[in-house]
Amino acid sequence: MWETLAQAVINGLLIGGIYALVSIGVTLIFGVVKIVNFAQGEFVMIGMYISFFLATQFGIDPLVSLVVSMPVLFLAGVLIQHFLIRRVLGPNDMPQIFLTFALSLLLLNLSLMLFSANYRTVHTSYSDAAWHIGGLYIPVAKLIAFAVAMALSGLLWVFLHTTDLGRAMRAASQNRDVAMLMGINPNRVFAVAFGTALALAGAAGSLLMPFYSAYPFVGQVFVLMAFVAVVMGTLGNVMGALIASLMMGVAESLGIQFVGADSGLIVVFALLLLTLAFRPSGLGARRGR
Amino acid sequence: MQTSSNMKWLWLAIGAVVMLAMPQLVTSSFAIDIFIRILLFSFIGVAWNLMGGYAKQLSLGHAAYFGLGAYTSTIMQVNYGISPWIGMIAGGVVAMLASLPIGWLCFRLRGPYFTIATIATAQVLMLIFLKFRDFAWGAEGTTIPNLGSAPLMMQFEEKSSYYYVVLGLLVVGLWITHRIEKSWIGYYLVAIGEDEDAAEAIGVNAPKVKRDIYMISAFLTALAGTFYTQYIYFIDPATAFSFNVSIEAALVSIVGGIGTLWGPVIGTVLLETTSALLQSWLGSSVGGIQLTVYSLILMAVILWRPTGLIGFATDIYHRTARRKPARA
Repeated sequence: MWETLAQAVINGLLIGGIYALVSIGVTLIFGVVKIVNFAQGEFVMIGMYISFFLATQFGIDPLVSLVVSMPVLFLAGVLIQHFLIRRVLGPNDMPQIFLTFALSLLLLNLSLMLFSANYRTVHTSYSDAAWHIGGLYIPVAKLIAFAVAMALSGLLWVFLHTTDLGRAMRAASQNRDVAMLMGINPNRVFAVAFGTALALAGAAGSLLMPFYSAYPFVGQVFVLMAFVAVVMGTLGNVMGALIASLMMGVAESLGIQFVGADSGLIVVFALLLLTLAFRPSGLGARRGR
Repeated sequence: MQTSSNMKWLWLAIGAVVMLAMPQLVTSSFAIDIFIRILLFSFIGVAWNLMGGYAKQLSLGHAAYFGLGAYTSTIMQVNYGISPWIGMIAGGVVAMLASLPIGWLCFRLRGPYFTIATIATAQVLMLIFLKFRDFAWGAEGTTIPNLGSAPLMMQFEEKSSYYYVVLGLLVVGLWITHRIEKSWIGYYLVAIGEDEDAAEAIGVNAPKVKRDIYMISAFLTALAGTFYTQYIYFIDPATAFSFNVSIEAALVSIVGGIGTLWGPVIGTVLLETTSALLQSWLGSSVGGIQLTVYSLILMAVILWRPTGLIGFATDIYHRTARRKPARA
């Protein structure tokens, strides 16, 4: 019983690391640019396809292709922010919500047309490897993904706290107007925030590829988790999103283990609805929205 | 004033005659099918628009009410032999009641997070109907027993009869919207949509107004669910709670003109015609083409004409109308 429980917790934490990369991106964009990027999951999908094609065409290991998917998506983020998002920033919610939503629909259906709905997998030497510690089973590919995800989150934290640009981003997320009065260039900060968020999504995609299938709808799973984690972890709060993502992973895994194989999502949604009912502004909230 | 009002009635009368005569003039069942889709999604768009358009509560979870309406009438019909005409109203009431707790949860959030919460509620309902199979057939769904010609059970041999039913629904939806638009509640809704805090500050009871309009919107959406199930003779959780229903409800309103009486109708005509043309041109073999085109249209509207096609038309009208009297 305890072993099953510990195993479920480990499985949850490992996948929770990937959820964290997606959630941190969502919460970073929300904190700095003040919009919700509905298309975040589709950038995970694009990251996966980049790694898939590099692996099948050039034999590049998905973990190595991280150095391609992250810069490509960073650039995509800067361009999207500059040419699309910048035009709809204003007091009105409707254009922001439906622009990123349209982007999500567009990317999803374009990839459906280009790549078909088939599941694509990459088999690496470590895809099936696992460590056995005591009675516990730890798949190597997931452990690597978790470790890299945590390292990237740590790097982001260092960036946000020690560099001028990072401090400017945090300032902009705390109070945009005052930050601008202090001479922070909002367009530059927004572009970097959007690019960074998309690079994290791309990293999540590449890290997933050794043990997860790529298909056009794959991003939807991750973006739903991320939205729930971001609400639970208080909107715009990077550390909150990280902790909430790990919790979501564990909750989902416990649901699968003890309630039934198809109940992972029900547990997650139930958590969301409970959070909304009792702590609508998140677990670590200072102010509501 | 008198003449413009007379003109309006004239246009309405011409429109009514054309709409009523349509199935007699067009006999191709492919075309009638497209007309029925246009009328159905116009009606769903009209229901969405009451809440999403006027009060700017941008829901992407209206499939919840579509599905509840569809399941209520189907369960009543298949298990108890009750006519879907009664089931339709019962479904509307069930949806209204469901909108109370759903609204209680979702209205705690504003803006994009309200939208996400509505997506989650529709998904939860779909998962519930997938899970409880003894209660509603689970993932396999069920077919509606075909009784041939049974108008009392909302089953017709002619497609044109379905056309008239859904036309009737749309007229009811437009009439309700028109009445609300002209009443104090309509102004309250617009005030909430512009700035909820400011509306509350001047004495609008925003939670109550939002709750009431959400109930009306849910009721109407559920009627569409019953109609659709009767029309295709089949129900399962994936069709009844399809995310595409939620998307299209919002899309047609935004493309046509959010928060306007005729916006959803005009948006549906554009989107459904485009989709039908694409389908006859490319065949249905290319997956994803329809939504690719929809999303491009949606992006174009948001970036260049956030007021939708209606706003575009009014701009042109004002520009040309202003020029004429200026020289007089």
